[in-house]
Amino acid sequence: MKRIKAVIIKEFAHILRDPTSLTIVFMMPVLMMFIFGYSINFDLENVEAGIIDLSDSEPSQNLVKKYVNNNYFTITDLKADYPSPIDAGERLLKSGKLKEIIIIPADFASDIKTQKTAEIGVIIDGSDSNIANLVYQYNERIIMDFTSQFRNIDDILKIHTKVLFNPEVKSAFFFIPGLIAILLVMISALLTSLSISREKETGSIDLLFISPLKSPEIIIGKTIPYIFVSLIAGGIILLFARFWFGVPIQGNLFVLLLFSLLYILTSLSLGILISTIAPSQKIAMFATLLITLLPSIMLSGFIFPLESMPLPLQVVSRIVPATYFLKIIRGVVVKGAELRHFVAEGTALVIFTAVLLTVASIKFSRNRKRVK
Amino acid sequence: MNENVIEVKDLTKRFGAFTAVNSVNFDIKRGEILGFLGPNGAGKTTTIKMINGLLKRTSGQVLVNGKDADKHRKEMKRIMGYMSQKFSLYPLLNSLENIEFFGGISGLSKKAIKAKQTQMMETVPPALLKQKTGDIPPGVRQKVALFVCLMTDPEIIFLDEPTSGVDPEVRRDFWFEIYHLKQQGKTILVSTHNLDEVEYADRLLILHNGNLIVEGEPEELLKTHKKESVEELFKDAILNASGGSEPF
Repeated sequence: MKRIKAVIIKEFAHILRDPTSLTIVFMMPVLMMFIFGYSINFDLENVEAGIIDLSDSEPSQNLVKKYVNNNYFTITDLKADYPSPIDAGERLLKSGKLKEIIIIPADFASDIKTQKTAEIGVIIDGSDSNIANLVYQYNERIIMDFTSQFRNIDDILKIHTKVLFNPEVKSAFFFIPGLIAILLVMISALLTSLSISREKETGSIDLLFISPLKSPEIIIGKTIPYIFVSLIAGGIILLFARFWFGVPIQGNLFVLLLFSLLYILTSLSLGILISTIAPSQKIAMFATLLITLLPSIMLSGFIFPLESMPLPLQVVSRIVPATYFLKIIRGVVVKGAELRHFVAEGTALVIFTAVLLTVASIKFSRNRKRVK
Repeated sequence: MNENVIEVKDLTKRFGAFTAVNSVNFDIKRGEILGFLGPNGAGKTTTIKMINGLLKRTSGQVLVNGKDADKHRKEMKRIMGYMSQKFSLYPLLNSLENIEFFGGISGLSKKAIKAKQTQMMETVPPALLKQKTGDIPPGVRQKVALFVCLMTDPEIIFLDEPTSGVDPEVRRDFWFEIYHLKQQGKTILVSTHNLDEVEYADRLLILHNGNLIVEGEPEELLKTHKKESVEELFKDAILNASGGSEPF
């Protein structure tokens, strides 16, 4: 009993004095509850939708009001904002800026007046199967609310739905490209973080530091081989997606390669930054997995729609590189989107890479600890 | 022989509240072998790394050939060679590939690297050199590590515990090599905790808890302190230093 007591006392002392244990006990539950509690939410709010009201009548205005006055959608009046609203709508769907377009036909008012069955057209972005299903349900709720004013006429209004990009609403078409984004950031960041921390452990980094090599030369020399290795890893994952899971690649492979290269560079830079802080391979691996996997899965829109997250988490999602690449890869693979649709996302990745590489270089140079 | 190549003045390193090296002063003369003794954690590696620029010091100054080492980093890199405690070769590369890599980052030409590889093959069987360095015996690894350290023909050589983990015969051969370097006019600082090795050093320093407690030529020290062996001298010095009294 005395021996067990001694072990218990020692263990408590260890827990109380070990910052890692204390973080696991006190910080992790709070952080996890916050992230999971807010991000695991399949309800949608403020889905970006465009309306084209060709009827421009009192009944159609009433229907538009129903769409505007709820939390489900944030409505853009495409007819008012664009000279050719259908083209603009399709372009915005492709780039991911809109999730659906609602078209109210010109004869809507006359059909309602004559108590004939009126139809509205709804075009839904099917690339995200979860969002597509929810958007469809929300449309039905709004239509039900609208038709409730016409008593005794059950089928006064019907929705004619067209699902773009993923007509069968297959979840694999949504998740597999997302998985590529998650795996690519994890693999690339791990490669560089382990490479440099391994050199720290073996002491070979000292020989690099004492050599005429400059810090940027070490970083560049270490990054370039991993760009190729990561690209090969990305290619293997993409081949699996295409031929094993049957995900069709609608877009241009060159566009995908270009953005993948940028994303890999961002991820490798992140790995280098982690390695400048982590004192050992074990810590570098743990930190890399934590920093890449958790936010990329929970906060990038991989599983849970960004639209349904509270504002602080949406802001955090903006500093997760996977958020941008996810949009790009889903756009290119599922929707066949082009380079011009992702200027903002590409710019974000360039900024990430520049910032991460600069900070990593500064940290790396400081690690040389030479007296200036 | 009497010209100072390195002058270390009030060298101090603190990690938070812990003082690893405490205001150490010494010099190294041209062409001498300076033995750096001390138990584990005495501050030997920290001192070496502060002199060769791998570690930022808290305070103090290092002059090399009369020049401030901080202000002439490029030149210092050119004239200094360093062999670290763990030999620090890339374990997944073979010895010839390690030589190629370190030659490459030191700016040697392809031809010069090839010549170095050939030179290495004259002393170690090529079959061993073509094995991954992680798989070869420690003695051979040590030989390759020293060879890599000397590739740029440095004037000053820092050897941090170069004989740890190798058997006595290999250690003897290694010291023979070091003595050979001294004859070529190289200045060598060797840290070790193998007391029997310091007979090869021209002078020795004993470091304990970051303080320099003994400095002098081995024979002279033994005579002055009336000790039979360096081991006896070392133990006495550490004991006195630990007891808080003046060691010598």
